[in-house]
Amino acid sequence: MRLLDLAVKNVRRNRLRTALTVAGVATAILAFVFLRTGITAWTSAADNAAADRLSTSHRVTFIMPLPKRYIEYFDGTRGRFEGVDAAAYAVWFGARHPVQTDQFFANFAVQAETFFDVYPDMIVPPQDLARWKETRRGAVVGQALAQKFGWKIGDIVRLEGTIYPGEWEFEVSAIYETKTRAVDRSQFVFHWDYLNESLPEPQRGQIGWIATRVSDPTRSAAIITAIDAKFEGFDVQTRTVTEKAAQTQFLAGFSALLRALDVVSVVILLIMMLILGNTIAMGVRERTREYGVLMALGFRPHHIAVFVVGEALAVGLLGGVLGLMLAYPIIQYGMGRWLEENMGAFFPYFRIPPHVSLVALGLSALLATIAAVLPALAASRLNATEALRRLG
Amino acid sequence: MIPISYNLRSLRVRTATTLATALGVGLVVFVLAAALMLSDGLQRTLNLGGSDDAAIVLRKGADGELSSSIEDNVLGIISAAPGVRKNQQGQPLAIGEVVMVVQMWTQDGRGQSNVLVRGVPERVLEFRPQVKILEGRPAKVGTTEVIVGRGILGRFENLELGGEIELRKNVRAQVVGVFDAGGSSYESEVWGDLFVVRDAFGRDGAVSSVRVRLDSPEQFEGFEAAVELDPRLALQAIPEPRFLKEQSQGTADFISAIGISVTVFFSIGAMIGAMITMYGAVSSRSSEVGVLRALGFSRLTILLSFLLESLLLSLAGAVLGVVAALALSAVELSILNFQTFSEMVFRFHLTSETVLVAALLGAGMGILGGFLPAVRAARVSPIEAMRG
Repeated sequence: MRLLDLAVKNVRRNRLRTALTVAGVATAILAFVFLRTGITAWTSAADNAAADRLSTSHRVTFIMPLPKRYIEYFDGTRGRFEGVDAAAYAVWFGARHPVQTDQFFANFAVQAETFFDVYPDMIVPPQDLARWKETRRGAVVGQALAQKFGWKIGDIVRLEGTIYPGEWEFEVSAIYETKTRAVDRSQFVFHWDYLNESLPEPQRGQIGWIATRVSDPTRSAAIITAIDAKFEGFDVQTRTVTEKAAQTQFLAGFSALLRALDVVSVVILLIMMLILGNTIAMGVRERTREYGVLMALGFRPHHIAVFVVGEALAVGLLGGVLGLMLAYPIIQYGMGRWLEENMGAFFPYFRIPPHVSLVALGLSALLATIAAVLPALAASRLNATEALRRLG
Repeated sequence: MIPISYNLRSLRVRTATTLATALGVGLVVFVLAAALMLSDGLQRTLNLGGSDDAAIVLRKGADGELSSSIEDNVLGIISAAPGVRKNQQGQPLAIGEVVMVVQMWTQDGRGQSNVLVRGVPERVLEFRPQVKILEGRPAKVGTTEVIVGRGILGRFENLELGGEIELRKNVRAQVVGVFDAGGSSYESEVWGDLFVVRDAFGRDGAVSSVRVRLDSPEQFEGFEAAVELDPRLALQAIPEPRFLKEQSQGTADFISAIGISVTVFFSIGAMIGAMITMYGAVSSRSSEVGVLRALGFSRLTILLSFLLESLLLSLAGAVLGVVAALALSAVELSILNFQTFSEMVFRFHLTSETVLVAALLGAGMGILGGFLPAVRAARVSPIEAMRG
């Protein structure tokens, strides 16, 4: 179609302005992709959380422990729950690196025999796992954490306790990899026995929670009811939730922030529309006489409108493609890697989801069209005589 | 000098373009201001709870009240340390409190979230005079009665006057009063009797933290030395303002970091917008520029005039952005504090620094965006411009 040809040619007429507009759209798309990737990465932990894992803890507060003997109702000593394949207790340790105290990572003491049966998505080589089980002060650390602090198997590492005071010494026995992206690769787990033996008598025999893996996730609700009913008559009552529900609830605490980021990602699209709309409107104003000529030649008003929208669409798409071309090296391989390594607890997997790229491209076309509507209307309402008379 | 009215009129002639550009700048300024206001609001809410002459004592190594525990018998040693102020009856102003976190159902159907429950001793209102009972009455000492901060009131099920909350099986607490704590983070807490609260959670014989009021802020070093002297006690003393700042640092930094990285991207976009507009202005007015040059205005004057125009344009946007951000001050929101994992209610807070940063950002975008177009204007040759 000749008209579209002409529209594309027009794009090349004021090269500087076109280049700037494309750059503006590209920046906006880059920011949009960055924000959406961040929001997705932040919520992905909940989306990808294992549906077959439950966690049982103190009913009222996470800071109070459960008695260790509760595990006996899971492991066969005093019974089992129908449908529960594996169970392991754990307690939050909350220590930090003695020098890099602000580098948060999750660390907890676990039941060594069964922990990795409950968490098969943390993969430890069999010989390393066997060695860890034999090493009293041994620890299994995530691959990202080991890389960050330069730890290798066999290293002696020290952590500074916050809940459990003092300096704690560990030996790195194994490094785990992960199967799925939602799993934090910067966790630090060690023997609950080691912690327990080191504590004064009154603090011993306490666990934070019991994690269980169920064979059939669709039966989770019934299993949850059974577990909590079992402990109803005990001194300390329990509350059992699926891992997914726990994650979702944690995120709900930040829903205000997530909503704010949602709004902000819309704001950048508005800015993009303003830039595009402004460029198109300026072009239309400058070319009023040409439109007059076209109309005098017999083009109808809707032709003129198509002409304007076509130009906007070309610029918008160009900017969108350029923005995505920038987004991949910058977000995917630059910032994403850095965030995964340094903030793995919050962003275990910071990569651009494919649908975000598609949406960004679609939006750059759609918003370009919308931005062109007003200028296009203005142009198509022109009257040939008047347009010709008007001075550029 | 070319009069400023020339620029103002030029901006007015092209209303749509001027508005679009200013709005773009305004949106960027708004986003930055909102992020800074959020992080300031969070810190302010926590800081309001502190006073310069107060200090908090925690177990050594503990990074907050939640992970700290101090034996009751140590309380006497802390109260007797030098520098601790005494009231008219000669009692030291020192209180031991226990801090717990309780899961409750939110009122808006988000599910369960954590609420901070503080077990306070009898003399707490003497120690924190800014706390006032708004509705109802103070809780009776030694009973399961509790009072609720106004910030968190009604955000959770049963957290209202006359409501009942469950501390543990068969231990229910009755809400008998609502308190105001001058906008501080205490307004997001539930206060009950020290002994009742810690008994309900099996934490008898120990408190989470001890707060003391000093004769003057300068007394802190002496107090700290006395408290930290005995290594067996394993205590650490921190001035209250510093402690509160550290408590909110993580969350506040997180918000600022997001805000600033987003603003960097956005301001590039808005700057490009300003550049397009100014290039447009220069090219459509090149014959005018030619006339000005012919009249004897120097290149530098032309350059400055166009820069000024761009600056005016972006400052107008910045004003729009700040005014819009100002409206946010009325918004109250609740997020999880990283340090206590419990809900904290706070407002956006506009400081003069934020206004300054916003204005500088606006001006920066105008000057950077307007510079190249202004150079082009300055290079217009008068003869060519008037001929064309």
